[in-house]
Amino acid sequence: MSVQLLLGIILFLLMALVGGKKGVRSFFTLFLNFGVLFFTIILMSIPNVNPILLTIIACIVVSCINLFYINGVNRITKTAFFSSMITIVILLLFIVFITEKAMIQGFGEEEIEEIGAFSLFIGVDFVKVATAVIIMSTIGSITDIAISIASPMRELFQHNPSIDRKELFTFGLEIGRDVLGTDTNTLFFAFFGSYLGLLIWFKDLSYSFGEIVNSKVFGAEMITILCAGIGVALIIPITAWITAYFLVRVEGK
Amino acid sequence: MNILKRNERSYKQILAYAILILCFVASVIFVNHNHSFYQKPVAEVMEATLVETTLINDIDSLFTQQLIAKLKNGPEKGQLIHIKNEYSTSGAYDQAYQPGNELFVSIDPSKEENGELSGTILDVKRDKYMLIVAWVFIFTLLIVGKKQGLFSIISLAVNAALLSYALDVYVNHFGVSLLVICSISAVLFTVISLVLINGLNEKTYAAIVATLLGTFLSLFIAYIALWATSENGLRYEEMQFLTRPYQEVFMAGLFLGSLGGVMDIAITMSSSIFGLYEKNHKISLKALQQSGLEIGKDIMGTMTNILFFVYISGSIPMIILYLNNGVPLSYTLPMNLSLELARALAGGIGIVLAIPISLYASIFFVTRKKAKS
Repeated sequence: MSVQLLLGIILFLLMALVGGKKGVRSFFTLFLNFGVLFFTIILMSIPNVNPILLTIIACIVVSCINLFYINGVNRITKTAFFSSMITIVILLLFIVFITEKAMIQGFGEEEIEEIGAFSLFIGVDFVKVATAVIIMSTIGSITDIAISIASPMRELFQHNPSIDRKELFTFGLEIGRDVLGTDTNTLFFAFFGSYLGLLIWFKDLSYSFGEIVNSKVFGAEMITILCAGIGVALIIPITAWITAYFLVRVEGK
Repeated sequence: MNILKRNERSYKQILAYAILILCFVASVIFVNHNHSFYQKPVAEVMEATLVETTLINDIDSLFTQQLIAKLKNGPEKGQLIHIKNEYSTSGAYDQAYQPGNELFVSIDPSKEENGELSGTILDVKRDKYMLIVAWVFIFTLLIVGKKQGLFSIISLAVNAALLSYALDVYVNHFGVSLLVICSISAVLFTVISLVLINGLNEKTYAAIVATLLGTFLSLFIAYIALWATSENGLRYEEMQFLTRPYQEVFMAGLFLGSLGGVMDIAITMSSSIFGLYEKNHKISLKALQQSGLEIGKDIMGTMTNILFFVYISGSIPMIILYLNNGVPLSYTLPMNLSLELARALAGGIGIVLAIPISLYASIFFVTRKKAKS
């Protein structure tokens, strides 16, 4: 038996035990998302297919799974979906710009030895692939925040139907601020964990500060972390505003 | 009195913003004029001309560029340098340069006949773009998050500094186990992050206890799983940037990676349980337990999702490269995903375990508070 299978079984049992039916469903969602990601990567490796377009489609599918499959199709999940998409498009524009400028696509000189046997001229645009990587690593947290802001806003609105749009918006922002700290934390540590080898490498080979900051591998990882943080912050006002707008418009008049 | 206070506050705020903007401007000016701080020659591209185009296998093209660049530091400052650059459409390890780009170059010791310098490109000067992203990050977090945004930035900076220091200790002291160092740092990370996010109170104590228990327990389970399967299915060959025993680096990475997710669960659970108690002091423990479990069920799925996406996305470029070089899928996937998948699953286990643990830790602290009052 492989490690992954054993860990997968343990995870499934725990989720079923702690979460009951909902836990089983969450485990299944994990599987679905993995499938979508996997399928997207396969499609991305076909030359001349636009990786960014594929990423947007993948994001739509993933958001549908995370929002509609888990929480059902209703006004709140729809606004959360809508807000996630807007955030992703804004983030996408920024990431494309910065990836192109900072030239962090593809592989760094530290990696090149290992892939020396491969041909690098494969007709896939690596600037767009780099953008796709950053977006795909944040999509999970973006949909998470969107739904965790939108649903308490609906609760509040149902208890106080007379609340005006501005108050509702401020309420959403406040909830967002509470999750901002913990969610950025989750992302940071996940990235720290996966880049630990690289950090030790820099220390062991005594890279200078200037060399680290300008190196491609470090630049790519730092930009991924920071853009993930930007995405997590950006989704908060967008969801709060859109939810406030739709709730008060539809039911207020 | 009130107005006076508000004025004082807004005055302080204005001062803080002014300092921030000053820092921003100063750092941007510095990073654009820091060439003399680098030992390697830096050159700014002045002119770029395309001299040759070759088609490769009908899917990619190779271009040759002749660049004229101006040196910005060192003894040759101000002189022009001629550089040849080759790049492809896919740009996996190369890129086109335009006038204005700054590059690290090495100057050929032999001068050309007409007295002009020639050289080769070492790397791109990326510092100013890193700075821009860092500032966009800081401003977005401050504008959206206000105080909480500031605390997340501080917590990131402190944790990064702490990690850097811990790794220094590890690198400079032979024979110290990375796992021990990471365990000690994990305790500090947890205390610092949670206190910064939530302040010093019972909520935070409950979350700290739950985080540490949850993370160590998940590490323990991962160890058992590795031992029981004799690490079958883990392809350590894929690990990049290795200067140390791979197993230790992998386990330490797994440990740190799940720490954030577990912390998130712990603080969410303890905040909501204490919130319920604050609203209604007469609430029964059973009711608290039930509501806590419901909340846990809601957040469990999304948190495990976050970890999955973070870990697996990083392998995308490598998988694409493998597949396009005719490596079969049955080899590519285990080669590139085995460790990430194991890490994500172990992180997921930590997250799910953290739910009951933080539930009972919070209830314990609530009972203690109840007994006191």
